[in-house]
Amino acid sequence: MSELPDWQIEIDAGAGRWQAEVNAAESLEALRSLEVQALGKQGEIPALMKRIPQILPQDRKGFGQAVNALQATVAAAIEVRRQALVETLIAAELNDTSFDPTQAALPLRVGHPHPLSTVQADIEAIFTSMGFHVLDYPEIESEFDNFEALNIPGWHPAREMQDTFWLESGHLLRTHTSSGQVRAMHEFKAPFRAIFPGKVFRYESTDASHEHTFHQVEGLMIDRKVTVGHLLDSMRTLLSAILQREVEIRLRPGYFPFVEPGFELDIRCQVCAGAGCSACKRRGWLELLPCGLVHPNVLRAGGLDPDEWQGWAFGLGLSRLVMMRYGVPDVRLLMGGDLRFLSQF
Amino acid sequence: MLVSWRWLSQFVDTQGVDPLQFAEKFTTTVAEIDDVVQWGFGLRDVLVADVLAMAPHPNADKLRLATVDLGGRTVQVVCGAPDLRVGLRVPFVPPGVTLPSGITVRDGEVRGVASPGMLASEKDLGLSDENAGLLSLDGCTAPAGTPLHLAIELEDVLYDVDNKAITHRPDLWGLYGVAREVAAMLDKPLRPFDLELKLGTAMPLAIRVDAPEACPRYTCARLTNVAVAPAPVNARLLLRRLGTRPISNLVDATNLVMLETGNPLHAFDARSLRGNAITVRRAHAHETLTTLDGQLRQLQAHDCVICDAEGPIALAGIMGGADSEIRPDTTEVVLEAANFDAPTIRRTAMRLGMRSESSARFEKALDPVMAEVAARRFLKLCQAWQPQAQIVSQLADMGPFTAEAKPLSIIRTTGTYLRERLGVTVAELSDAWLDACLTQLEFAVARSGDALAVTIPSFRATKDIKIAEDLVEELGRHYGYDNIRSEAPKVAARPPHTPPLKLLERQVRNTLVHAGLTEQVLYGFDDEDTRKRLLLSEPDGAPRVAVRNPISSQHTHMRRNLLPNLLAVAEKGLVQGDDGQPARKGLNIGVFEIGRVFVPEKSDDPGLPPVLVNGTEAEVAAYTAGMEGEMLRGVLDARAGTKPLPLQPIRLGLVFAERLGGGAEGSKLVFPAPEVTHRLLQQMIAALSHLMKWLGRDALTLQATGPEASLGAPDGQPSWRSKLGFDLVTSTGETIGFVAALHPRVRIELDQPAQAVVAELDLRALERVPLFKRVNP
Repeated sequence: MSELPDWQIEIDAGAGRWQAEVNAAESLEALRSLEVQALGKQGEIPALMKRIPQILPQDRKGFGQAVNALQATVAAAIEVRRQALVETLIAAELNDTSFDPTQAALPLRVGHPHPLSTVQADIEAIFTSMGFHVLDYPEIESEFDNFEALNIPGWHPAREMQDTFWLESGHLLRTHTSSGQVRAMHEFKAPFRAIFPGKVFRYESTDASHEHTFHQVEGLMIDRKVTVGHLLDSMRTLLSAILQREVEIRLRPGYFPFVEPGFELDIRCQVCAGAGCSACKRRGWLELLPCGLVHPNVLRAGGLDPDEWQGWAFGLGLSRLVMMRYGVPDVRLLMGGDLRFLSQF
Repeated sequence: MLVSWRWLSQFVDTQGVDPLQFAEKFTTTVAEIDDVVQWGFGLRDVLVADVLAMAPHPNADKLRLATVDLGGRTVQVVCGAPDLRVGLRVPFVPPGVTLPSGITVRDGEVRGVASPGMLASEKDLGLSDENAGLLSLDGCTAPAGTPLHLAIELEDVLYDVDNKAITHRPDLWGLYGVAREVAAMLDKPLRPFDLELKLGTAMPLAIRVDAPEACPRYTCARLTNVAVAPAPVNARLLLRRLGTRPISNLVDATNLVMLETGNPLHAFDARSLRGNAITVRRAHAHETLTTLDGQLRQLQAHDCVICDAEGPIALAGIMGGADSEIRPDTTEVVLEAANFDAPTIRRTAMRLGMRSESSARFEKALDPVMAEVAARRFLKLCQAWQPQAQIVSQLADMGPFTAEAKPLSIIRTTGTYLRERLGVTVAELSDAWLDACLTQLEFAVARSGDALAVTIPSFRATKDIKIAEDLVEELGRHYGYDNIRSEAPKVAARPPHTPPLKLLERQVRNTLVHAGLTEQVLYGFDDEDTRKRLLLSEPDGAPRVAVRNPISSQHTHMRRNLLPNLLAVAEKGLVQGDDGQPARKGLNIGVFEIGRVFVPEKSDDPGLPPVLVNGTEAEVAAYTAGMEGEMLRGVLDARAGTKPLPLQPIRLGLVFAERLGGGAEGSKLVFPAPEVTHRLLQQMIAALSHLMKWLGRDALTLQATGPEASLGAPDGQPSWRSKLGFDLVTSTGETIGFVAALHPRVRIELDQPAQAVVAELDLRALERVPLFKRVNP
């Protein structure tokens, strides 16, 4: 064997140098720039080919093969090194315990539904699932729909009891969602069942448990031969769904001119299970809502024949339900607009 | 109203019934009991004592030594009561006894003198707060030394019945009515009143009822030879625990009979009646009367007054006059037991701000029958307390009630109908039970097979019971609502109808919350301060709906736009911070509200059923058929006064606001960099684009609203748009709202340096925006 040509010595040395540099690359980024430097289009190894004219003709084939071999060797070395680096990084990432889960989260711009809307939506969904229309009636009402139609004639003390906001036009701000009862009867005839949630207004001074504006949900079912037994079943079923637990209910006499018989509906106190506690004022029962069978005069005002059609109705305090569900201590928070309160929902 | 179980037990046999447990049944059958109070317990060691002698205390001016007889033995104790006198009967508490108040009486010395025991006041015994003197046991005939609870009426249970639960039940404003309910619950007879009296034959005085509609019945009697003195101890203590202050035998008798029968009474000193005559009439304008409480009352023409020959001596059914009240030296009284018209009494009592025990009862529409019962009870009680007293007149009975006795009201129905309303079968609620229950409540039941003719007793007929459904309630509550089988109604399965606007409202709410805005639910009233700061003034803006009785001078009008209130809460949010972030420069918030605004233009909603507005006379007649009395009149009045309601459109309001730097006093004049305003506008546009996409509707385009900043838009839109104001225009060319940056003059009125971009649009108009159909591939 004759002595190796110079180029052969140079290529062999190059292989050793590239291998060392590849091994020294400590990051994927460094390896990539080394790869470009060695193997890229303008890289050092492809550049060797430009020396072909200076190589002896009989050596040119050997030279070409040697350069190609060098290129393959370096490429393989880079790939091996890359794999090693990737494994190292995977291991490092998997072993990273530096995150502190207690640190403050980054702010996320989220909106907040109003709790009245949330609870109202829940109630609407429950009633919709049971075939109740969800209706919306005016907040400014006529005396007729708010009082006369509900069997509350002009002299009736109920008109004083429910202190009313009167408007210069002679209309009024509805004092209860019951003002929609006769409207619904004219709109849907019979039979039908419906709820109508909304704002109601009372002319009274405000404190932690009284507001001049609050929210109610009226429920009304009109059908043939509606009984107290039906009312009991419907109220237990619906209230269990609304309160998300099985509730025990009881009816006791209550007087409202637009129902007869009229009831106050109590639910068994959840806090003490009926034993008596401060939440239920030691009674074991919590007064929840007024209800009853629709008074024949209201059916008449609704254009229905009371001998043919009957109904039940209830009025649920939506504001109070929101306060119960979320433990809101002051009713005035609901419509006060304070973002610090609303952003908790 | 307080009910004494002990008193009640005089009218119905309650043997073996625990009043504490019975209270819950009473609540579910009759009326809610707010509280159950035990009274006069823990006093079994206290004895009746007679004061035999009195001597000064050697070491104290205000204390005295009392020698008392305890029946077979005497004891000397120290006593500080100013009313101590020889011959008094008083309670004696032996040493070692602990009273309900927690005080233990010691066997010790008081200021150097032995005092083995104590003479007690009502307060000492826990019977009331009265502590001015000893409890005088007048009328107690038990021998000295008798345990107190055997000598006088103690150990009672009081029901505090919720007054609001009995507003429709005039009969329950007297103990006797409550006893009737309890008798029905226990299935025991109700003892009738003993009303036998020996009366005179003369008229008590000349009586005229000139206002028969205000005074359906006026009964009256004259009683002589009376002596004003304290009432017997049992009567005094009964009044006390029922919340009424004992005054004298005569006055106490009127109060006791009122509490018993529910019918208020009034006793006049006969000496004071001028002209020996009484007239019941409406007051004359400018008449005055000084009432018992010393107040001079200005009367008006609709007030009902009791007059003697010269003028008013009592405000009928509310309060007597000061000049004719019972005095310590009264020897002859004229008793009034009357029935007055409820609305008349209520109007006068409310106007004069004097809701007395008497007016509270007459307001409930009392049964005229009870006036005579009350008069007789009073006369009997006076004679029982003062055997020397003489009824020198007949019981005069004037007014329309006697002239033409009201025909009895009868409800015709069937057992089947009554059971059907409750949802019970004849096996559960038998005919026999039904008849017995109503009879026990003093309805007269005439049955022919299933058909019933039920006569309403007078004490339920004034307003409480009118129709078959009222009987359903009577049966239901005594049968026990808990005993009614709960039964699912059988209804047609149909998908419910939800108005499209309601569905849209839900979608808008959800979309905007997910887009990072916070929902607000705000008052329907405008806030005048806010409007002033926002330079919104009436002449510039459009008319608003005015409130006749505003809750405050700040809330005189209904809102015509959502934005003023919404901007005010956004402003507050920029001060207080939001979502845990403290307020700081650059704080950026977005809020929205969906709610009604009120425009005083006539809507097409008359607030009356369509038939009353557009129907022919025949249709109206068909509609009102079956209505009667008040109901019919109310409906026809309403028809006559039809007035369309104001427009009440539902709007969507949005505000994006950002806090600027500065803000210390005097540095409110901070002007935002254009980028801040542009960023807020971009946020608003992004939110609206996002909204339209999620609603699946065509995008809205912004159209500049003209070159000039306008303070005072003509159409009721707020007057705050700057040059950066745009109309929101739909793909069909309809303008449904606007977007605007605050006008600089409005902005510098804000409490904090801030910039805001606002938008308000009509929800019904939004619903008309076409659904999005053109999709690019």
